[in-house]
Amino acid sequence: MTTLGVSAGAMVDALCELGFTHALIIPDSESRLLFEALHTEPAIRVISPMREGESIAIAAGLWTGGAAPVLIIQNTGLMEAGDALRGCGVGPKVPLRLVVGWRGYAGAAAGHCPIDSAFTYTEPLLEAWGVPAWHLMSDADLPVLAEMDRTAARTSHPAAVLTGYAFRS
Amino acid sequence: MERMDLFRTVATRRTDEIVVMTMTATLQWPLVSQHELDFDFLAFGMGHASDFGMGLALARPERKVIVWKGDGGLLMSLGSLVTLGRYGPENLVVFLLENRSYELTGGQPLPPRADFVALALAAGVEGGGATGRGVVERIDQLEVFAVRLPSFLTEPGPHFVVLPVHTTEPLPPVNHTDHAGRIRRLRAGLGLED
Repeated sequence: MTTLGVSAGAMVDALCELGFTHALIIPDSESRLLFEALHTEPAIRVISPMREGESIAIAAGLWTGGAAPVLIIQNTGLMEAGDALRGCGVGPKVPLRLVVGWRGYAGAAAGHCPIDSAFTYTEPLLEAWGVPAWHLMSDADLPVLAEMDRTAARTSHPAAVLTGYAFRS
Repeated sequence: MERMDLFRTVATRRTDEIVVMTMTATLQWPLVSQHELDFDFLAFGMGHASDFGMGLALARPERKVIVWKGDGGLLMSLGSLVTLGRYGPENLVVFLLENRSYELTGGQPLPPRADFVALALAAGVEGGGATGRGVVERIDQLEVFAVRLPSFLTEPGPHFVVLPVHTTEPLPPVNHTDHAGRIRRLRAGLGLED
């Protein structure tokens, strides 16, 4: 039986394998353990801006300067940062790599009501921006990270994975 | 201070620094500089020019990154001052053009009591940044700016410099086009793309 949620340690290993140099992450409930695990990994520099629009603009500057950033961002923060994603990613064709925490997914998948509107609008918003997204729900799904990374590089456009469950130890 | 005088002063001393500009600075800086490492941030994301500059500076520690941004833009992303105070790299210089208005949209006034030096100090920029060498200052006279400029370009920061400005010179028309091309040109200037 598949254990839902990605292991924080396995996620950090996968990010290192892909060569990410910086992680832009603002703490949220589901990414707490990933946040802690990233701080133990010397190969990736962790930056926690105050708001997600900052994260996206810093990541765009890092990529433009030759670094390899990954954005770890909750769906609610992504919604707040819409202008930054448009202006620093989609419009100028900057291949931002996003790990989007899909708040509300676990409750919706379990049939709980009311459904969190953050769940409802996440995929339609990514689709509206033309950002392709893969589901990353367990360790077995970790290969989608590399697929997302390759797609961003090939298309020179933002790409994302969606994590529906809290990172686990 | 006349904004174009500040631009002329920096353009005269500038060598291989990356220069990021936004809003009305994108209209006037090109009148004094056509450098391959100039970057026009207009329409890339409201209020985020210095965040983009921080990313560039983190990625390219071997060279200074200068950001020209306005006080209206800073108020759109005020939390970025705290980020600057925590992570700002030594090679980042933010010149805050304080004209107390949203100039590009018709000169609507900003909140009159906001003190940008006090905000930067409260955000931990002075003595802060990634290595604890952040500097905050306000310069009201062009002659003083000209004297201080070499230190901004050589000494560790991050530097956050508030510059009260006005402009009497006519503004060229706005050009929002070719976002992808702007990124590619800067990367080419850095040797990252052909």
